[in-house]
Amino acid sequence: MTRRIQVLGIDAGGTMTDTFFVDTDGNFVVGKAQSTPHDESVGLINSSADALAQWNLAVEDVFPQLVTAVYSGTSMLNRIVQRKGLRVGLIVNRGMEDFHRMGRSIQSYLGYSYEDRLHLNTHRYDPPLVPRELTFGVTERIDLFGNIVIPLRENEAYEAARKLVERNVEGIVISLLHSYKNPVHERRVRDIVLEVLREAGQEIPVFASSDYYPVRKESHRTNTTILEAYAAEPSRRTLVQINERFKQLGARFDLRVMASHGGTISWKAKELARTVVSGPIGGVIGARSLSERLGYRNIAATDIGGTSFDMALIVQGQFTIQHDPDMARLVLSLPLVQMDSVGSGAGSYVRIDPYTQAIKIGPDSAGYRVGVCWPESGVETVTISDCHVVLGYINPDHFLGGQIKLDPERARKAIEEQIARPLGLTVEEAAAGVIELLDTRLRDHLRAMISGKGYHPSEFVCFSYGGAGPVHTYGYTEGLDFEDVIIPAWAAGFSAFGCAAADFEYRYDKSLDINVAPDAGAAEKLEAVAVLQSAWNELAEKVIEEFRLNGYSPENVTLFPGYRMMYRGQLNDLEINSPLARVETAEDWDRLTEAFEETYARVYAKAARSPELGFTITGAIMRGIVPSVKPRIPEEPLGGATPPKEAHRGQRPFYFRKKWVNADIWEMDALKAGNQIEGPAIIEAPATTLVVPPGWSTTLDAHRLFHLKHR
Amino acid sequence: MAYDRKKIEELIDGTIDWETLHRMLSEPKDPERFRLYLEILQERVPWEDRIILPYQYHLYVVQKKDTKEWVIKCDCGHEFCDYRDNWKLHALIYVRDTEESLNEIYPKLMAPDPNWQVFREYYCPGCGTLLEVEAPTPWYPVIHNWEPDIETFYREWLGQPVPERAEPVRK
Repeated sequence: MTRRIQVLGIDAGGTMTDTFFVDTDGNFVVGKAQSTPHDESVGLINSSADALAQWNLAVEDVFPQLVTAVYSGTSMLNRIVQRKGLRVGLIVNRGMEDFHRMGRSIQSYLGYSYEDRLHLNTHRYDPPLVPRELTFGVTERIDLFGNIVIPLRENEAYEAARKLVERNVEGIVISLLHSYKNPVHERRVRDIVLEVLREAGQEIPVFASSDYYPVRKESHRTNTTILEAYAAEPSRRTLVQINERFKQLGARFDLRVMASHGGTISWKAKELARTVVSGPIGGVIGARSLSERLGYRNIAATDIGGTSFDMALIVQGQFTIQHDPDMARLVLSLPLVQMDSVGSGAGSYVRIDPYTQAIKIGPDSAGYRVGVCWPESGVETVTISDCHVVLGYINPDHFLGGQIKLDPERARKAIEEQIARPLGLTVEEAAAGVIELLDTRLRDHLRAMISGKGYHPSEFVCFSYGGAGPVHTYGYTEGLDFEDVIIPAWAAGFSAFGCAAADFEYRYDKSLDINVAPDAGAAEKLEAVAVLQSAWNELAEKVIEEFRLNGYSPENVTLFPGYRMMYRGQLNDLEINSPLARVETAEDWDRLTEAFEETYARVYAKAARSPELGFTITGAIMRGIVPSVKPRIPEEPLGGATPPKEAHRGQRPFYFRKKWVNADIWEMDALKAGNQIEGPAIIEAPATTLVVPPGWSTTLDAHRLFHLKHR
Repeated sequence: MAYDRKKIEELIDGTIDWETLHRMLSEPKDPERFRLYLEILQERVPWEDRIILPYQYHLYVVQKKDTKEWVIKCDCGHEFCDYRDNWKLHALIYVRDTEESLNEIYPKLMAPDPNWQVFREYYCPGCGTLLEVEAPTPWYPVIHNWEPDIETFYREWLGQPVPERAEPVRK
């Protein structure tokens, strides 16, 4: 049988580059190689070779067959965290030159644990992306209604531009107050800067915030625009390099990049800063893609990796978009797929608090270094993985497909010394206690996230993935009463799968203030829809321009307008997909408010609807999508419930609820669709382990999804 | 988590990297820290009395080598008083309570009104080091920063025997 390989998903981390190849039957291989920061394409090709070797194929054979490749990576994030971006100059309002480095105060403790947020001594300001000496003020003022209060002093703009040119900056960002409302001054400053650059014979990029992120909140808008100049431009070079390398290998597609809004965009995209985060959201996209095709409406997506537990809800096929997320300790204006994270993963350190004698998990972790059980890791503190090894949950000889040999005795000794003895417990009791504590914590978070949004777990199907997810699935879902619990057989590569399943999609946002009173007449509604429609036109133009850069004509692009609405006087808006492609009449306005009220009733409660307050639109959204090839989901004929003998790998002692039992060991890849497995059992794949404790059972369906049930 | 001697030296000198400092601030204190910290301080002072407790910048509670009395002592060797007394009452004091003297250290119009706030500067009579500045209202008594309960600290926090202490001979 000759394979047709269609899709490549890439996850380029700081240490390892993962690749994920999918063939037309939905089979896939995962490759790993050391990342090569000086030229990422090298590690990428090595990783690809590693993956394809499992199918006895060479890179040169496969690349010409590929239809698409999606990249996600951490290099931009690292560049920001390590402050290794370009030398950027900033022009702001005169008298406001310090707001960037003050970061709304909140930047002094973003990313901290709750304890540290309360502990003022730990608060600290990172160096600003643009240093104070490269920040210049110009006199002008536009108020929040968009009125010009102080005209722009153009001579100051010329002066600022000249000073920045003298100081050899590599990019210039302009961000003036309320420019999202009225960009006239900001654009004039931009043109002055371009004029000065021309005179000086220099060619450096200039970014006016209103051209990129015309949204409220100047710290967020300014930070995000700076990231375009500071970090995204170098990433663009990396992507160009990778793309060229792919072309040399015979690829006939353009590389796409996973973006924070849940779509993929081209490396040619104007707004590239939104590709700064991509890894964890891949799984959410993957879960949505699976649910669309298999008909699940509501999904709770859960992912456990080495350092964190990430959760996201997909309700009625939609995930939530967060508008001002923070990342790398910066407040940003990017649409980001909303996720909740807990800093507990398989690599989290386990310690005893010397004062309270309580078990403490995390917040720091050994990450990819696994734990004490891996002698080469250099790790000395017990991790969650150590507990798993001691309890027989993971196979020490088969970790990552046997690439790493783990030593249970080392783990045992460390747990004995660090946890069991101080608490007066046996090693098994201590390790099981740690796992139980973690499971309880994750379960509580999951329950809180679902009930906090007004739902009950019984309305949701829980997807569990990530390398370490399936080991814990029974633990954090027990008693939550989910409609179903699903573990894809390719759990370890699920994020890469999700990236590959994402649409080719651009999204632009713009802040608006459209207020319509409850007793408004047709004229006011007409004016409101005119404002919204003109914002949509503006954004659609940007979206179509992005696709044009990639060789798509406007007819290929399907546009999805949206808006953010709330009752007047409220503080939180909801994002609504517009029921109408265009709005023109007063009746259209009523359709918009109806759609909002429907969502409002679903998210909060029907009785909480308050149309008597009138309505406010706070923002316009435009998404554009062109069709792209997606990985297929496996489809196998259903066989009997009894698993084939060759899948059985013997038995292993397994500690569960205070006693040792003998668990059947199964090889995941050898199981057939329809097979049912009763606990105690452990199903092993190279990069993941599914634990089925006593009293539980699991069935493998035709799409290679395991359904986990408590009897 | 134990830190090596070099890190503790950097902590004392204020040159420690932020990542380590943040960890020190957020995690339970490593049991070795106090001993190591005292050891480094002890090496740096020119006298031989045993340091019982660092009191504040430049000042220590020490056990006098000969009499075993506990006194507050400066880097330079100047002895202030019994460790339970307020050392400030034994220091040289300069009070800035006029507009003129406040303007020596502040730009014009930026100094407090001396009817509301004064600065009291405390200097070591031995070496002339400015040890502390207080900024209270003019009538406020000299502030006694703190009175350490050293016995409890050694016994219950450090789990170590309390160093020998002799009551001072009243002169």
